[in-house]
Amino acid sequence: MNGLVHGAVYGGVIASVLLTTIAFGIWFERKFAGRMQSRLGPTIVGPFGLLQSVADVVKLLQKEDIVPRDADRPLFDLAPVLAALFSLGVAAVVPFSPTIIASDLDVGVLYILAVGGLMVIPTFMAGWASNNKFALIGGMRAIAQSVSYGVPLVLAVLVPVILSGTLSVSGIVTYQANHHWFLTWPVFIGVPAFAIYYMAMLAESNRIPFDIPEAESELVAGVTTEYTGAKFTLFYMAEYVHTLVGSAVGAALFLGGWDGPFAPGLHWMVLKTLVLFTVVYWVRWSLLRLRSDQLMVLCWKWLTPIGVLLVLGAAAWVQFVPGGFQ
Amino acid sequence: MNESDGKRRLPRYDEAALAYEHPLYKTLLAAPGLSVSVAPLDLLLSWGTMNSLWVFPMATSCCGIELMSAAASRVDLDRMGTIVRATPRQADVMVVAGTITVKMAPRVKLLWDQMPEPKWCIAMGSCAISGDFYRELYSVVPGIDTFLPVDVYIPGCPPNPEALMHGLLRLQEKVKLARAGQLVAKEYPPNRLDITKPSIARLSDPARDPALSAAQEKSAGEATATDESDERGGGNASAVEPFAAETTSTDVEALLRELGVTEFPKDGAPIVPVEQHVTLARRLRAMNYRIFVHVVATHFPEKTGAKAAPERFEVAYALRSVGSGSKIASWRLSLATGQAAPTLVGVFAGADWQEREQFDLVGVRFDGHPDLRRIMMPGNWEGHPLRKDYPADKACTPWR
Repeated sequence: MNGLVHGAVYGGVIASVLLTTIAFGIWFERKFAGRMQSRLGPTIVGPFGLLQSVADVVKLLQKEDIVPRDADRPLFDLAPVLAALFSLGVAAVVPFSPTIIASDLDVGVLYILAVGGLMVIPTFMAGWASNNKFALIGGMRAIAQSVSYGVPLVLAVLVPVILSGTLSVSGIVTYQANHHWFLTWPVFIGVPAFAIYYMAMLAESNRIPFDIPEAESELVAGVTTEYTGAKFTLFYMAEYVHTLVGSAVGAALFLGGWDGPFAPGLHWMVLKTLVLFTVVYWVRWSLLRLRSDQLMVLCWKWLTPIGVLLVLGAAAWVQFVPGGFQ
Repeated sequence: MNESDGKRRLPRYDEAALAYEHPLYKTLLAAPGLSVSVAPLDLLLSWGTMNSLWVFPMATSCCGIELMSAAASRVDLDRMGTIVRATPRQADVMVVAGTITVKMAPRVKLLWDQMPEPKWCIAMGSCAISGDFYRELYSVVPGIDTFLPVDVYIPGCPPNPEALMHGLLRLQEKVKLARAGQLVAKEYPPNRLDITKPSIARLSDPARDPALSAAQEKSAGEATATDESDERGGGNASAVEPFAAETTSTDVEALLRELGVTEFPKDGAPIVPVEQHVTLARRLRAMNYRIFVHVVATHFPEKTGAKAAPERFEVAYALRSVGSGSKIASWRLSLATGQAAPTLVGVFAGADWQEREQFDLVGVRFDGHPDLRRIMMPGNWEGHPLRKDYPADKACTPWR
């Protein structure tokens, strides 16, 4: 019972903070994109355009709710809700400080992979239920994509698990706090594993260069083509939340989470998460979109073999290097 | 919806129905005791709508380039929260930038109907406002306000990006005033346009026939379906005839004389008897003229007086030889009214669409063509626009 109350309170607070962060994260992305393209980004709505996302949400909630006549109504309505739930759900096991964690699961990493992997379900549901050719192609691409990035994602996440000898996310962070961040040592395993994780995370949250299911220039708006108003808002938020939580997981697994000198753990965790979050946009506004087949080549021919090597390397490191595993 | 007079009055054309309210908001208004708190809520709602006008770019010509540059670094629509969405479902403002043809209009209408309320329409540039100098053309809609409720007109040819931004600011003003319940001065196109009335009444015209709106609605629903409706010319030329034996001769004039041509005018291609037409094409193909360049039909209406002549059609053909020293061979057919030309599809596959185009625009029939349908105009079009007797402002209902 105590755990339930703890989970509800902390989960609620974390979810609210995440959603607020997202509102300003979208503003930040638009400013960032503007600066990259020698524009200004939002400036008029509120000071420095800070209230832009608020205005967007107020507007989107007022819009008419259109459901196509031939759509599969229950699936169509359920998909955005599930997307929001799954993307927020991953945050439950992420430790934002030694004490701020909604649920310190012993199998936290497994939970992250499972719930994060579920994100493809609402995406495909939306594509199928819309009864729209563009949405369906987008959904089909999402499935093809998830099959490809899933394997390297799991392999990359296995590396910190093997190195620290625990499946608990807070356990992994504690290990890094006691020894060293996995990004810094063993550097020849940690850095490539982090790179693979980061690429797979981009693919999982459908970000450029892996936004193949959305592909504005080919598929109108991909799986969200038929969504209007509030439902579109949920999808839109879920996508950003997913990116943010993915960055937080990356920070926890590879960058030592809340570990850092001079400042409380929460500050370090937030700093690391936001840095990774910013890099997502940096990548997004710099690169072009890959084709589906290019993504598969990247995932199956490069990331997966390298991931296998990294897992073997991590196992060897733990087994043979003195002090590698306590 | 008023269905008493038997004609379906479309609510979206009704000025009163244009003020869309979200169902939740209406519930709020209806709840007793809650309506007192509506004023600040209204402020919030209109603030949100004003500052987040997402654009659906209905860009068909040069105005579209200005629309694109308005989103780029010098003007930067994103400053005021305006971004471009590719799907009509998530857009608030349709910016019609460019000439809208009769064939395009049903598609524009369809996309407009797919946008969720509340929505607005901006006519960007003189073609969208009135058709501009294409307005008398048979295939151009004389202003999109003949079928869309336009909120803001942005004159210019094309308007520069700053003008588009000014138009969006005016739209913001309009949204704000409409929400506050203040009567908005109705937008009218520039007065100059009253000099020539459009051939159909504008949506804002009180005298407009509701049946016209209904017909446009129906036509929009069948935008793609009607294209298959035109008659097919029978015949089967799909099996390409065996080619004549290759010859090394390059003397086209000798060939023409052999086929019975006697006159070789200096200012044009020789006129070939219709019955020798296919033979000539096959012989020329054997002489290495392998590229079908064009077929162009011209209408010569009946003349009276000193130069009296009956109505006739001329069809000009041109072939090109391949390899070095490439040459062009051309000839004409002269057809009386109703006379058909033998098709060349059996000799040159490339003649297929070109003959369809001539059939569509001039009305010359091609005997034996496997699929003689309209190709440029909508399938339900009446008449052939490039005939000399085709009226310039011919009414093609329901778009003109």
